Amino acid sequence: MDSLFKVGKLMSLFNNLRLNTSPNIFKYSQFNRQFSVTTANNDLMEFFDVKKNWGVEEIRSGRSWRKDDLRLKSNTDLHKLWYVLLKERNMLLTMEQECKDQARLFPSPERLDKVEDSMENLECVVRERNVAYHKLETGETGERPGKMETSAFGLKYYYKMCEYPIPKFMNKKWTEKYKFFKYDKDVEAFLLKYREKIYIERRRKRARDFNHVIGLMNRFPNMDMDALQQQYPDVDIKKAKNSRKYGGHFAPK
Amino acid sequence: MSTRWYPIYQKGSPQLRVFLPNFWMKLVRPTHKIPSNVVQFACSMEMTKFDVKNYMEKIYNVKCVDVRTRIHMPKTRREVTAGYVIKDDDVKYAYVIMPKGVEFKFPDLFEESKEKEDEDHEKALKQAKEGFDQFLSKNKDRENMPGWFTV
Repeated sequence: MDSLFKVGKLMSLFNNLRLNTSPNIFKYSQFNRQFSVTTANNDLMEFFDVKKNWGVEEIRSGRSWRKDDLRLKSNTDLHKLWYVLLKERNMLLTMEQECKDQARLFPSPERLDKVEDSMENLECVVRERNVAYHKLETGETGERPGKMETSAFGLKYYYKMCEYPIPKFMNKKWTEKYKFFKYDKDVEAFLLKYREKIYIERRRKRARDFNHVIGLMNRFPNMDMDALQQQYPDVDIKKAKNSRKYGGHFAPK
Repeated sequence: MSTRWYPIYQKGSPQLRVFLPNFWMKLVRPTHKIPSNVVQFACSMEMTKFDVKNYMEKIYNVKCVDVRTRIHMPKTRREVTAGYVIKDDDVKYAYVIMPKGVEFKFPDLFEESKEKEDEDHEKALKQAKEGFDQFLSKNKDRENMPGWFTV
């Protein structure tokens, strides 16, 4: 009996809650929701901003589309959004060019960056989905294939592969364009010097950092050593403290 | 295959379709005098005449009878202090010819702001004149006296 009473009380509480909250919910979430719809006039005037933004000093805009926003959208939505962004970018480019020609300041140029950022993110999300689909269906990523190759000068680079209508041995143009590493005395000599250069550069950097750390320790004796070690991970601080340069010039008492 | 990587076209294979075109086009003020049904665009260097036509018809719903393109090489100039030659990037211009009777005039974007600027300028000039008159009237009894001299 007691529990039943409790349940009844709870129910009434819920009822009250619902009664109290429902008008607010409707008010703020469904009917009063603000959304903007661009008018699709499909005209050459789409290359220009809306008339109220002509000759204005500042135009305020929202943030760009993030990847997390875009991941929630369906493929068709993304496809539509791409064209919206494309048109927006064209519009901004047109306005920028006109401002430049008329020797005026282009208002809020960050809009262009925002649009480009959004487009990049969108393409990235589409690419993610594409890779997921391909992996599921074929077990491969479906990305452009490539591999590490050694160039004619013996340096490694990422070679992006391409489809050709004729086989490799017949493709004279390709063989002329792409020369890969083949043993050569001069290339060996070049590589020796090249590596020596890199080695010397690295050694100099090591010595420079070592001396710099000693200098820092001399100037700031109460420095945080962990932070220093984090910033210069290659420097042995214990060794630096043993150096004769550490400690400054002063006569022992 | 990913978005920017298309398989090679071979006879009989399905038509290649671009789902996310990354071409840009900007409407520019015509460099020369052109008929009113012709519009000049600067566009991506990779675009062909067919691309421009499809772009205009499919994305902007603008009918075009013909498209002509040219690549403009900007004038080279010298760097003022170092003296080396500078050449800006080439621009591809597309002339979209719309059907007869369709007209487009490049709008004047700064008409209103120009008027406002002129007004502001006049206002400032008037204020400065008034200030100077005031200064003269204040100092009319102090002829041949240096400006810094005060009682």
